[in-house]
Amino acid sequence: MLTLLRDLRRLRRAIALPAPGRGRSLALRHVDAGSCNGCEHELTLTTGPHHDLQRYGLGIVASPRHADVLLVTGPVTTRMHTPLLTAYHAMPQPRLVAALGNCALGNGILGAPDTIVGPVDEVLPVDLRIPGCPPPPDTIAAALLELIDRARSGS
Amino acid sequence: MTLRDTHSYREAIEAALADGHRFAGLHASADGKIVHTALLAPDGDVHLESARAQDGAVATIVDLAPAAGWDEREAHDLYGIRFDGHEPLRPLVDHDPDLRTWAVPVRGDDAYQIAVGPIHAGVIESGHFRFHVVGDRILHLDPRLFYKHRGLERAAENSTVTDGLRFIGRACAACAVANRLAYTHACEQSLGLGAPPELARVRTVLLELERVWNHLNDIAAVCAGVGLAAGNTLFAALTERARRLNQRLTGHRFLFDTVAVGGSALELDRARTATAREELEAIGQQAARGWRELQFNASFQDRLPDIGALTQDDVERLGTAGPAARATGVAHDARSHAPRLAYQEFTPRIPNHPEGDVRARLEQRALELDQSLTLLARLLRRPLRPTNARCGAAPETPIGIGLVESARGTTLCIVERNRDRLERVHLRTGSYANWPSVAHAAIDNLLPDFPLINKSFELCYACADR
Repeated sequence: MLTLLRDLRRLRRAIALPAPGRGRSLALRHVDAGSCNGCEHELTLTTGPHHDLQRYGLGIVASPRHADVLLVTGPVTTRMHTPLLTAYHAMPQPRLVAALGNCALGNGILGAPDTIVGPVDEVLPVDLRIPGCPPPPDTIAAALLELIDRARSGS
Repeated sequence: MTLRDTHSYREAIEAALADGHRFAGLHASADGKIVHTALLAPDGDVHLESARAQDGAVATIVDLAPAAGWDEREAHDLYGIRFDGHEPLRPLVDHDPDLRTWAVPVRGDDAYQIAVGPIHAGVIESGHFRFHVVGDRILHLDPRLFYKHRGLERAAENSTVTDGLRFIGRACAACAVANRLAYTHACEQSLGLGAPPELARVRTVLLELERVWNHLNDIAAVCAGVGLAAGNTLFAALTERARRLNQRLTGHRFLFDTVAVGGSALELDRARTATAREELEAIGQQAARGWRELQFNASFQDRLPDIGALTQDDVERLGTAGPAARATGVAHDARSHAPRLAYQEFTPRIPNHPEGDVRARLEQRALELDQSLTLLARLLRRPLRPTNARCGAAPETPIGIGLVESARGTTLCIVERNRDRLERVHLRTGSYANWPSVAHAAIDNLLPDFPLINKSFELCYACADR
């Protein structure tokens, strides 16, 4: 156990992470609206030791009721349309929506037309767009930091 | 292809199963007029038994091969075929709002139902679970997936053989290479193309690079399932390193677009293969060190044995595939017979305690990680050059079959082709094969252990939903 912790401390020192402490926080709720699982894998690693989202006050929370931001992946499938809206309407206001990955943004969606509603902005107002297939953890982290800075400057 | 009537189709399958064949997949074709069942021979070859539907129905084989349960339900939902004798034929892909149509009714004193999902509490794919419980004990579980159904197989119809790869590739990021390779093998078999040793080597490298990051990720997932943050972060850090290596070698962290029908464009010179070997060795050393630490962490180890156990009998009956099957001691692995890949003298490994529980599945990942790293060190001794498949290696056939071992299990792809156009493509992934086993493994366990059980399989929803 001590070895594991020592290894992590060493890793932390070796990674040049941007300065923490934005003086603000945003709680994120992720909803997979039909992704290929790539965005999920990259988002998971964004909370890992190389990027460590929590350091910046960005935490992934278990319920939309606790969330400021809805982070949506995938082209919205017909089956995820209602659950996505339910999650959105469960959020307190003000609330933000981030579309994560090319499918969520409507770039190069593949599938049968009757199974897919369309990109996230056809269903919800999108405040932040994070392109990539899938966007790597540093892109996700940088975009979310921009969002927290935007929230701080009140724009 | 011989088209049988529904009676002789059933007889042929019964005979093949008695002869040691295993069920490998079933799907509808020709707008629901035909059913194909894939059977895996003891020597590793796959062949199809095909039946023509009579008045929209085919005899069920679910009593002969219970593993065909999901396949028949899917064929009914998507193509309207009925399976005589499969009663009740519950909806699977169809999301009928009436619970009674797809879930088992709750019975017994004090038994009640807990509905979870489709949205889960963490960063997890979408899917719905209905648990029947008494207190904390799980009596039964009905999973309902296909929230992420994108109709990719249908969307791929009528595209060219080359273009069809995009649709199959989109099914899942975690199994991107395995799925594309299964499709590519199916197309190349149908086109009569052979895979010369150099092409086999490139593709095996890609498939094993995918297995390395997946197994690191899956070990991290079990640590997270137990709540051991130090173990989770260590293996998450190694997963990140493995993905960065993928990026450096191929330009993509998930190795997207590295597999193509007819050849490989990947070029790794001597310096880059040397870098790859060094980095993989460093990852291997760190992983081995972390693994040793996990062995001596009593509070972690105490959480693993006897949880979510499958028996060898379950594996045979439910058609469990991949590490989950091998963790029970059933040493099935598509890599044992892979003439299109560079797995000469490959022998599947099984854990020291093949009990089929969470501990065995975790140990299986560590064993296979080690095996993959050794294999990669050997395959990367020489540079990789762009290379093509060999034309005229075999006669062309209208149907091609590809079978590949992904990090989740055996993945089957069947392609029906008319000249350059795809008439039908079907992908049956290791995750699809294993979902019924997750539901079975959960029975009699405690509800708070379900996330751990689920993590120990670490199946993709996207792969199953397509």
